[in-house]
Amino acid sequence: MSEVFPPSIDARRGGDPPLAQSKPLVTQDVEALWDPSERLWQIAIAPSRWRLTSQSCQTLDGLRLGSLWGEDTGRSVLRVHAVWLPSGPGSGLHLVTELPTATPRLSTLLPDVPAALYFEREASEMFGIEFASSPDPRPLLLHISHDFPPLRKRTAPSRPSGERRTYEFPPVEGEGVYEVPVGPVHAGIIEPGHFRFQVVGEEILSLEVRLGYTHKGTEKLFEGRTPVSSVPLAESVSGDTPIAGACAYSIAVESALGLKVDAATQAARGLLLEIERVAFLLGDIAGIALDVGYAAGAARANALRQIAYDALEAATGARTGRGVLTIGGLLRPLDRALGPLLTPRMGTIGKGTTSLLEHLLTHPSVFDRIHGTGTVPLNVALALQLVGPVARASGLVRDVRSDMPYGPYVGRVVHVPHEKSADVEARLRVKAAEVIEGCRLVLEFLADGATEASAAPPLLSEGPTERHGLGLVESPRGEYLTWVSIGPDGRLARVHVREPSFLNWPAIEYAVKGNIVPDFPLCNKSLNLSYSGFDR
Amino acid sequence: MSGNPGKDASPVAHVPEKMGILGKVLTMSYPLGRSTVRASSARTPIHNPLLCTGSGECGKVCPTNAIQVEGSGAGARFELDYGKCIFCRRCVDVCPSGALTATTDFELSTFSRKDLVVAHVSGKPVTAWDPDLAKSVKLKVHRLFAGSLAIREVDAGSCGGCELEVGALTWPEYDLERLGIHFVASPRHADALLVTGGVAVNMRLALEKTYRATAGPKFVIAVGACGISGGPFRGSPEVGGGVDSTLPVEVYIPGCPPRPEALLYGLWMALGKVEQRLWKGELPPVAKRSV
Repeated sequence: MSEVFPPSIDARRGGDPPLAQSKPLVTQDVEALWDPSERLWQIAIAPSRWRLTSQSCQTLDGLRLGSLWGEDTGRSVLRVHAVWLPSGPGSGLHLVTELPTATPRLSTLLPDVPAALYFEREASEMFGIEFASSPDPRPLLLHISHDFPPLRKRTAPSRPSGERRTYEFPPVEGEGVYEVPVGPVHAGIIEPGHFRFQVVGEEILSLEVRLGYTHKGTEKLFEGRTPVSSVPLAESVSGDTPIAGACAYSIAVESALGLKVDAATQAARGLLLEIERVAFLLGDIAGIALDVGYAAGAARANALRQIAYDALEAATGARTGRGVLTIGGLLRPLDRALGPLLTPRMGTIGKGTTSLLEHLLTHPSVFDRIHGTGTVPLNVALALQLVGPVARASGLVRDVRSDMPYGPYVGRVVHVPHEKSADVEARLRVKAAEVIEGCRLVLEFLADGATEASAAPPLLSEGPTERHGLGLVESPRGEYLTWVSIGPDGRLARVHVREPSFLNWPAIEYAVKGNIVPDFPLCNKSLNLSYSGFDR
Repeated sequence: MSGNPGKDASPVAHVPEKMGILGKVLTMSYPLGRSTVRASSARTPIHNPLLCTGSGECGKVCPTNAIQVEGSGAGARFELDYGKCIFCRRCVDVCPSGALTATTDFELSTFSRKDLVVAHVSGKPVTAWDPDLAKSVKLKVHRLFAGSLAIREVDAGSCGGCELEVGALTWPEYDLERLGIHFVASPRHADALLVTGGVAVNMRLALEKTYRATAGPKFVIAVGACGISGGPFRGSPEVGGGVDSTLPVEVYIPGCPPRPEALLYGLWMALGKVEQRLWKGELPPVAKRSV
C-alpha cells in the first residue's frame, strides 16, 4: 500500500506539518504522534482530560466518533481507545487513555457526543469500566450476568452463568398510549432483535431497540489465535458482508505487521468488494419493494441479485465470497477467464437497476409508500454520526473510499451518490445509484488486472513487540472498522470490530417517529441494519 | 404501432413486459431436475482413504477443527465432520497426497448427526450410523407433510449468512413455493422450525418458547455449521454447540452457509422425496441412490 503523507491536523492548530514519526506535534501538554500503521494521529491522554479532549475533537476539529473500545493489557491496566475520524477527506485522531484495572472510572461523553452511548454501554459491561454520571448505564449485549466482565483477561473465560439481567424500557404514558412488543423472533427470514413500540392509534410515538440476542463472544474468540487462522471468524462477524469483514480485518493485520500488498491483489479485493456491494444493495431494493407489497418489483430485484451472487461465485467459487481472502492477499487466484463472464453480467445489472428504479419511482402505489416515509433528518444523522448509504441519503457525503482511501481505492475516483430528502425514497435512490456505480467499478478493477493476482505468500507472524493496526473499509452498509493488537508471540491480543450498523442502529428509533406501525418494516428494510454485526 | 390499440392505451399494460414477467423462466428445475453448479465452485472436501498418507496437514489448517487426524502414516485415523466444516477448501489446498479433493457435490443433508461424520482407518470407513433411526424418521415426516410444508425460520445466533441463503429460496431462481414448501410468519402456523445459529445464550429462551408455540406434529431442521455444531463460534461460552443441544433435531443441512440448492435438497429429503445420500460414511454418485 502506498503511504500518502498524512494530511496534517497542524493546519488547524497552526505551524508547519511535522515530519512523520520523527517530530512529535506538541500542543500544550498533549503529544500527537503520527501512527503510520493506523494512518491516524495518536494521542495518549490522562483520564481526567478524556471528556474535554473528546469534546474538542467533535466541536473544534469537526471530527466524528468512529469507535470507542476497551483493551485489557493484562498488566493491571485497562486502556480505553477512541477513534475520531474526519467527516470528509482528511485524517483523524486516535485517543488512548489508561485506567487502573482495580477501579476503572472514566467520565462519560454523553450527552455532548450522542454516538458514544452504545460504545460506553458496551465498554462498561465488557470491561467493567464505570462511566461516571452516564445517563444510561443499562447493559447492551449481555442479557445474563457473567462471572466477571468477559473481555477482561483471566486464565479461564467468563461464563454467562448468573441471573437474567433486568432491562427497563422507559415507559410512555398518556391517554390511548399502548405498547407493542415485537421480537426477538420476527415474521420474516431475518435476524433476532426486540423492538418496543409506544403507539397512539397507528402512529408510533417512540421505539426502543434492544439487541444482543445473537451475541457470540466473537471478539473474545479472536484472542490467542494466530492472525491467519482467524480470517473465517472475521468473515462471520456479519455473514451477509463477509468480504468487507475479511478485508477490514486483513488490512488491520497487514498494517500492524507492515505487510505490503501488490497492485493486482488490491484490484482483486476491490473487485470482490464491489460485487458484494452490488449484490447486497440489490437485496435492499428488493426488500423495499417487498415491504410496500410490490412482489413483482421484489422478484425483479432478486433476479438481478442472483446475477450478482452468481458473478461472485464465478469469481471465488463461493456464492457469498467466503474462503478466498486472507492476510496479504488471496487464498486462491480469481478465474482468469472472468472478464467475458463479468462484463455482460454487470451490464445487465446496471441496465436492469436503472429501469427498475425508474419503474418503482413512477409506480404510484410504490411511490406513495416510500415518499416522505421514515425520515432521518440531517441534524439527527449528524448527531448520531451515521455512516454509509443511510448517512448519504440524509445529505452527509461520507464514504471511506474517497475520504480515507485504502488499498484498492488509493488514487481512484469513486462517485459517491447522495440525496437530501432523507426518507425511504432517498435511500432507495442512493442504493440504486451505488449499485450502478459498483458495476462500473467492477469493470474498472477487472481492467486493472484483478484476475492477475496470485495466491498470498506465507506470513511471518513472530515479532519483537506488541503491534497494532487499523482497517477501515466501506462495506455495503458503510464504514467498517477493525482494530487488531498482536502480541509479541504473534497471536492476536485484542480484536475490536465495529460494523457500520453499530453506529446506524439508533437511526431507526428516529426514522419511525410519527410513522404508522405498518410502515415499520419498510423503514427497517430501507436501513437494513445487521444484528449479528452489532451483537458480534 | 401494435395491432392492439387497447394494449397501448392502458397505463400498466407494458408493466409485465418491463418487469421481465414475460421473459424467460428463471427458476431452476432442481430438485426435480438436475442441478447446474459450475466446476469452479467445487467446495466440498471428499476424502479418498486409499491415497491418504496420514500427514495430518489438513487437520492443522482447518479453522473449525472439522478434520481430526490421529496417528500418522498409512494406519492413521482420519475423521471429517461435515457438520463442522465451513467448506473453505484450506484442507484441499495443503493435502500433499491428493487424498482430499473438492467436489461440487452439495447433497450432504442427513437425518442423523452421526451420519455427517466420515471416518477412515487404514483406508476403510468406520463411521457409526443408524439406518433404523433415519428410515423411521424419514417415513414419519414424509407421511405427515409431503406436498405441503410450512416452515418458521428462527435465527438462534447465526452471523446472517444462513439468513441470506434461506431468504434466497424465495427468489425467482429457486422459488421454493413451487415445491409446496413455504415460510410462514408465526410458529403457530408452522409444521417445522428451520433453525440457524449455534444457539446463543441470549436466544435460548426465545428458541425454546418458539418451539413450544409450534403446534405438533412438528420437527426441527438445523441449518449451517453453526446450527449443527456451533461452527466458527464453537468454544465460545456465549454459544451452545448446535441446535440439538437445545431441541430435538431431525434434519441436518450442513454448509457455511449452505447454498440454496443444498437447502432445497435438505428440505426435499425431509419430505422423503429423495433418499439421504451421505450414507455409511460415503457419498455415492447421484445416479446410484436418487429416487
